[in-house]
Amino acid sequence: MAELQDRLDEFKKTFESGAPPYNAPREKIEMMHRATAELKASGAEGRALKVGQRAPSFTLFNQDHVEANSAELLRQGPLVVSFFRGHW
Amino acid sequence: MELEALQEINPAVEKLGARLVVLTPELERYTRALHRKLNLTFDILTDLHNETAKQFGLVFELPDYLRELYKSFGSTLDRFNDEPQYRLPMPARYVIDQEGIIRAADVNADYTIRTEPSETLSVLKSIAVAK
Repeated sequence: MAELQDRLDEFKKTFESGAPPYNAPREKIEMMHRATAELKASGAEGRALKVGQRAPSFTLFNQDHVEANSAELLRQGPLVVSFFRGHW
Repeated sequence: MELEALQEINPAVEKLGARLVVLTPELERYTRALHRKLNLTFDILTDLHNETAKQFGLVFELPDYLRELYKSFGSTLDRFNDEPQYRLPMPARYVIDQEGIIRAADVNADYTIRTEPSETLSVLKSIAVAK
């Protein structure tokens, strides 16, 4: 199985080629690049929580509407929290 | 793609006594479909209106020109996320130890860049060894 970043790069190449199935127009691809560059330049990454800081706790519903609580999960062991933007 | 890659390491994560959760601002009716489709063995949690992502310092607002662009692709945040303000979390992966302290923080403003799941496993292994 290829590394995740290889797979992402491959997808990006196909998408940005403007070819089917995505047929992404050049000007739209450029807008996406511009938005990413602006977000980078805004210093947003530097404002995120860093190693050594205390993680905020949370209680949220899972896909089956069952509540999950970070303190409860941490009682069982270390926790990986991955933020996923969704269909974006 | 990232969810599939995380699924590949999830058995190893659990073997190390750790847990993995994914947070997304998407509403439960969408996370449920996605969870089923990918046969995930970890939870996808709905972080409604990005409240938790905000506390991690990850939320940004999409510029106007991108809102229009995504609309033209048929994706609207107000539909998927109940989010008329068009805010999203930056992609990020955190490893938190049992004391609640962040031991790894991978944040990238460029959503096409992700940390390899194998690196996350390495961090979990180092925590397990240090114990």
